Amino acid sequence: MTVTVSASGLTLRYGGTAALDEVTLRLTEGVTGLLGPNGAGKTTLLRVLATAVPPDRGAFSVLGHDPSTTAGRQNVRRALGYLPQNPGFHPDFTAFEFVDYVAILKEMTDRGARHREVRRILDAVDLSEVRGRRIKRLSGGMRQRVALAAALVGDPGFLVLDEPTVGLDPEQRMRFRELIAQAGEGRTVLLSTHQTEDVAMLCHRVIVMAQGRLRFEGTPAELTAQAAGRVWSSAERDPAARAGWRTGLGTFRNVGDPPEGADLLEPTLEDGYLLTLDDASAEVAA
Amino acid sequence: MSAIEVVERAATADGPAAPAPRRAAAVLALARFEARELLRFVPVFSFLLLYIGYTAWQLYSEGDGMGAYPVLQDVDRGTQTGPVLLGIALLVCVNRAAVRSRRNGTDRHDGILPMEPWRRTVAHVLSVVPYAALTALVVAVEFTWAALKPGASGHGSFFELAVGPLCVLLAGVAGVLLARLIPSFFAAPLVVIGGYVLLVLAAVNLDGSHGARWLLPAVTEAGAGPLPSDLLGRPAAWHALYLTGLIILVACGAVLLSGARTRTALAVTALALAVTVTGAVGQAPGDSAALKAARAEASVHPERVQSCSVHGTSTYCAFPEWTGRTADWAAAADRVRRLAGGAAGGTRLTVRQRVEARYGPEGDAAIAPLTGPGQVSAGTEWGGDRNVQFAVGVASVLVAGDERAGSEVCDARVVTIMWLALGAEPDPLARLRGARLDDSVEGDAIALTPVASVAMTAGQTDVVRQLLRQPRYGVIAKVKAHWTELTSPRTPLARVAQLLGVKAPTTGEDNGETCDQ
Amino acid sequence: MRPVTSERRPKPYAVIRALLRPLWRTLPRPALAAAGGLGLLLAGLPRLLSGAPDPWLCLNLLRAAGLCLALGLAFLFDDPARHTTAPVPVRRPLRGALRLALAVPVAALCWTAALLLVPGQARPPVGAVTLEAAATAALALAGASAAVRCTDGTRPGAAVAAGLTAVAVTVPTLLLPQRWALLVAVGDQRWADAHGRWAGLLVVAVAVVALCAPEPLRRGSVLRPRPRGTAPTTA
Repeated sequence: MTVTVSASGLTLRYGGTAALDEVTLRLTEGVTGLLGPNGAGKTTLLRVLATAVPPDRGAFSVLGHDPSTTAGRQNVRRALGYLPQNPGFHPDFTAFEFVDYVAILKEMTDRGARHREVRRILDAVDLSEVRGRRIKRLSGGMRQRVALAAALVGDPGFLVLDEPTVGLDPEQRMRFRELIAQAGEGRTVLLSTHQTEDVAMLCHRVIVMAQGRLRFEGTPAELTAQAAGRVWSSAERDPAARAGWRTGLGTFRNVGDPPEGADLLEPTLEDGYLLTLDDASAEVAA
Repeated sequence: MSAIEVVERAATADGPAAPAPRRAAAVLALARFEARELLRFVPVFSFLLLYIGYTAWQLYSEGDGMGAYPVLQDVDRGTQTGPVLLGIALLVCVNRAAVRSRRNGTDRHDGILPMEPWRRTVAHVLSVVPYAALTALVVAVEFTWAALKPGASGHGSFFELAVGPLCVLLAGVAGVLLARLIPSFFAAPLVVIGGYVLLVLAAVNLDGSHGARWLLPAVTEAGAGPLPSDLLGRPAAWHALYLTGLIILVACGAVLLSGARTRTALAVTALALAVTVTGAVGQAPGDSAALKAARAEASVHPERVQSCSVHGTSTYCAFPEWTGRTADWAAAADRVRRLAGGAAGGTRLTVRQRVEARYGPEGDAAIAPLTGPGQVSAGTEWGGDRNVQFAVGVASVLVAGDERAGSEVCDARVVTIMWLALGAEPDPLARLRGARLDDSVEGDAIALTPVASVAMTAGQTDVVRQLLRQPRYGVIAKVKAHWTELTSPRTPLARVAQLLGVKAPTTGEDNGETCDQ
Repeated sequence: MRPVTSERRPKPYAVIRALLRPLWRTLPRPALAAAGGLGLLLAGLPRLLSGAPDPWLCLNLLRAAGLCLALGLAFLFDDPARHTTAPVPVRRPLRGALRLALAVPVAALCWTAALLLVPGQARPPVGAVTLEAAATAALALAGASAAVRCTDGTRPGAAVAAGLTAVAVTVPTLLLPQRWALLVAVGDQRWADAHGRWAGLLVVAVAVVALCAPEPLRRGSVLRPRPRGTAPTTA
């Protein structure tokens, strides 16, 4: 697979804290998930890759363009779709007008072609029914889809999505997954999320960040494998476990280093993620 | 304050949803929170700092020497302008805080919270109270600082001091009312500008109308100089009552607009309206006949209300609030007299304090010079340049015989007058600068006395400046030796320069015949 | 597959033409309209008052009208969608310039109307008052521009307007020393000097607007602590 986005040694500090600390990564076509706790630097990484913030140090390239030069940055932006964490809207615009506005900002000037494209995108995100309605009259899920449409318009080669499924109901989330999976066909998508199911279902690669550093890079199966042999069930809370909770069956599901002869369970992606983070913080503490 | 009573009474009247104390406590907690939030607005924070810093700096810097001799019935009024800055910042920012939830679209969510909108309005009103209290503290420090100075004179008024904090409170409350009337961020700045313009318009157009002018929040009348406190004729107490009523009225308006149309709220509003109207009516009548008579007496026949004391050979008469000042006058007059020669050194002076009170505290009318021999006028201000002005007045009487004649001197005697006034000063050139209206030490200018002025030509200024640079005792001897010639109106400037041993001005403009200019 | 690739590098004027309409709709028109309306009302006051118009009053009413217009312009760079439109090829300076190009003529028209509303015999020197108004407006724009560049907020206009109001009604009248006076009467000997200072202010303010026009490189917490949840560092 060809590498479409690559970065090396990205570092960015806000005051005394390093939001990004020597981040090196490569992205390929398809959906890459970005997991991490709050404050791990996910949004900062996305903003750097979206050319919204330059890094203090390090270099990266997107689709063969170097964003450190003005011309390169413009070229990146022409090929970029960005859905920020808190997308803002002009509340008096209709959904169509807003996406059309963003399309103009993406330098699509042929009116006919642009309107066709906006209609196509609104159709794709299932908003064609309400495209004439003002954004202030749309529901939260619909607004989120307007924001996704604004990111998708112009058929960008690199799509940066910052927690797009936050606040959506399960059905809307399913719909969103479908959209993102579609978008990932023939494109590079970087998806930041707190939902491990999203990653398990959508992504062909996953990155875990903590304290501004990459802690894991691999396939979802590899992340799940991090927890192989480290999840077990017991009748009582096991004090040795790093995390444990009572399940609906009445037994305890424990994650950590199991005692001898424990009743091992099949790990999930979430188990792998938790253990990766736990190992990372243990490493920092040590 | 009374606004808290509104909360408590309204809360009890409102029903048994929660025990009244707890409902009131919640409002107070929110008010505390909002007060803290207000401090995070840049305008409030910076103008609070500016107000405190500016006041502190003024207390420290002492002004131009007059700060050591404050007149308390003017100091109290002087505390009313400073809080304007803070008031405007509070108006705008309280307004922003009060429309915040509407702006951020959380009002639909807030609507289901147990604290009703009107109680939140009350909390916004109360959030201004700490700032008013802080203003009161600054005002109190400002006044106490002045009152504790050894040179302080006169009496302050509590009600004048209350106006500053009340204005701050009024501005904040107006911001809340505005938020309830026009729930938009850009209303407050525009209303401030519009209101400012209206106030300026009102100040211009209502110049004559006493009752209408006192409807403005702060009426700072500044005139030529301080008057005795009993002649001010300012309805300060009525005005404080009016402001208090207005604050409660505006607060009640905001509370009513946010939906608390209970009987208690309406009753409090009616009461506040009554208080406001009472205050407005009470302050409306202009100066009474008795006050006018007292002012006329103090202006025309001050001797009837003054008490006199004798220092050395001279008599010093002052209004009751300034009797402690006569020793300062005596010291200044003696310094001048010691430099004079001939009979002038032994002249019996009668120094009389004079005011022009007939036009009220804003009056700017000149006081006519006295005509009796040896009579000198003193003002109600003292310190810094006022001392020099007094010295020039004394010197002009010593040289010309009486005050009227002294004010008409325009020949070379000006040199003698100015040297007598300044010769004994430790830094005479700086004092010369202070004595002249345009703060210059070159060219022609006017030098003031308490009731008149002395016109100095460029040539006379030149000679005076040379004299002041020479060793004092040499000049004293020359002045005393040539006193008769120096005090003669016919002596030309060149001759005066020659007598005093300095270079005559080369411009040739001055030859004693300058009175026609 | 990529239907729009062919027009990826359009001519700039095509973008500008396409942008004008949506940008006109993103302008804070209520604020501008309210400001313009109040400004015209103030300038029209002398005609409503009986008696001969007072030149001093007219001068200050015009100044107040100019300040109102400036307060409206303080909202010009408010853009609730700024985070959504941060990394797009059409750069912020161009968008800002277009916003200015749309709003400034309207404001200028409004100002001309205000000037004409003041009775001719009491009208102060038009050039000088216009300089004052332009400098005030430029200060408002500089404030808004700097707020966008230095903070993360989407709508800094209200804060800028509040600050400008507080500064305008206090600093020139109460805090500036006499020799730096800005608000002088017609015929005052400091008139020329004061307008030199106004011109200086205008130049500085325009420079600030220009300097702050590009997309902020780094939104530091320069002015006030960032509200939780919107900080760019939290992921």
